[in-house]
Amino acid sequence: MRVPMLLLPAMLLSCVAAFAQIDFSGEWAPRFYEDQPERVPGPELGDYLGLPINDAARMRADTWSASIQTLPEWQCRPHSADYIWRGPSQLRISKEVDPVTRQITAFHAEWLRSVDRTIYLDGRPHPEEYAAHSWSGFSTGKWDGDMLTVTVTHLKEGYVRRNGVPRSDLATLTEHWIRHGNWLTVVEIVNDPVYLTEPFVRTTDYELDLHQQIPPYPCGIVEEVDRPEGVVPHFLPGTNTSLAEFPAHHDLPAEAAKGGAETMYPKYQSKLRQK
Amino acid sequence: MNRGVLIAAGIALSLAVPGSIQAQRGRGGQGGAPVTPKAAAPVDLTGYWVSVVTEDWRYRMVTPKKGDYPSIPLNAEGRRVADAWDPAKDEASGDPCKSYGAGNIMRVPGNVHITWEDDNTLRVDTDAGTQTRLFRFAGSPNSSGAPGWQGNSAAQWEFAGGGRGGRGRGNAQDRGGDLKVVTTGMRAGYLQKNGVPYSGNAVVTEYFHRTIESNGDSWLIVTTMIEDPQYLNQQFQRSTHFKRLPDASTWSPSPCTAR
Repeated sequence: MRVPMLLLPAMLLSCVAAFAQIDFSGEWAPRFYEDQPERVPGPELGDYLGLPINDAARMRADTWSASIQTLPEWQCRPHSADYIWRGPSQLRISKEVDPVTRQITAFHAEWLRSVDRTIYLDGRPHPEEYAAHSWSGFSTGKWDGDMLTVTVTHLKEGYVRRNGVPRSDLATLTEHWIRHGNWLTVVEIVNDPVYLTEPFVRTTDYELDLHQQIPPYPCGIVEEVDRPEGVVPHFLPGTNTSLAEFPAHHDLPAEAAKGGAETMYPKYQSKLRQK
Repeated sequence: MNRGVLIAAGIALSLAVPGSIQAQRGRGGQGGAPVTPKAAAPVDLTGYWVSVVTEDWRYRMVTPKKGDYPSIPLNAEGRRVADAWDPAKDEASGDPCKSYGAGNIMRVPGNVHITWEDDNTLRVDTDAGTQTRLFRFAGSPNSSGAPGWQGNSAAQWEFAGGGRGGRGRGNAQDRGGDLKVVTTGMRAGYLQKNGVPYSGNAVVTEYFHRTIESNGDSWLIVTTMIEDPQYLNQQFQRSTHFKRLPDASTWSPSPCTAR
């Protein structure tokens, strides 16, 4: 009798931590109430608006050719953990629960075009610096009140916009998951010492959809384009004349379309008015 | 039963009381004076913040062309009104602030200054359009008179672990939480500068969260849900982020513009 009574306070105290947890599991449908043209049909070539990129990123993007997606090696690449939130995919979040403590020990996030991504909540450390990188990276989460803060490392090289604007494999990602009823908001903060001059922040919203089922998405590789072996589609610097079409079509200064941290701040509007 | 065990169990039980119960009691404990919403704040939202426009850039940093509103779930009537947008008419009628109302002001690029007007009212000033919003917690007098661009905003804290209310007790900032604001009674305005309408019957629900990052940055995250059956065919939600500033050095009040 004595031992169970001693355990009682510990059991009750363990409940306190549980109060600070919220259940994110469910079927979540993307809502494209922001950046619909970029996210659904896809971004236009040369659209780097609002991206805090440096010259190296701009050069990579300017020399990118969409035809690279037809290479067999590229056809089945999933979106990386940072981009996929913004992509046109349904989301399923499931949870792992410890059968004894009944605490949530991990969330799994899975989109239509992605690999399973585990967010560990059990306090495990991140791998060593030279451990393998993956499309989903390595994610650990901790509770900050009702908000879940996730740290992602070990990402393969990806992109911050799917028109060739790169994100390096040295980048790290911080996420804040927020739920209000049937709405999920995810704040993403990408830090990339190679291609970004400032953290890149986006917030994306999903709505709970009880009828949603994510279909299978098997990916088969086919030869889409008949080209000599070893050819990698690209443009040499300064040769892609299509880059000028985006700012011209939308009556934007060409300089603004090139992005850069300055273009993210309200003060830049006064520069726009002078042009 | 061992007396020490009883004491430990009692302490644990008091810690395990759900936040909702503690938050709604409205007393400072031990029969003290009620704790004000300002004192009960589970998160400090005050200070200067700047919007960082990484989303909808082409719809926020410049004025989009008439009829360009692909992200907004307008119904047929909403599209009809948006397609008839005439900024010259707004200027002529003295209504250049239509896109600076509560339905859109947090999307307008600019600086935001959040302060406590009094113990029951949080004040939000914007330099873009020089607007003022008052978030009134329970106990704060309601505004009256004709509808204004910012409408009437009812505020309540949401405490981590459950619980709502404008009053509470205990060390609220240790528990964390967010601010919920429901705004009604606005003048009809625009969801986007190019005349995308919301009606005077629209209801705007907002949640204000704050994050603190390992590099010292802090972000204000504002999630905005708009219900307006007159012009929208479903609930419309956007989330907007602001970076905390150390001071007012970039504060630059400017009047509303219709174009």
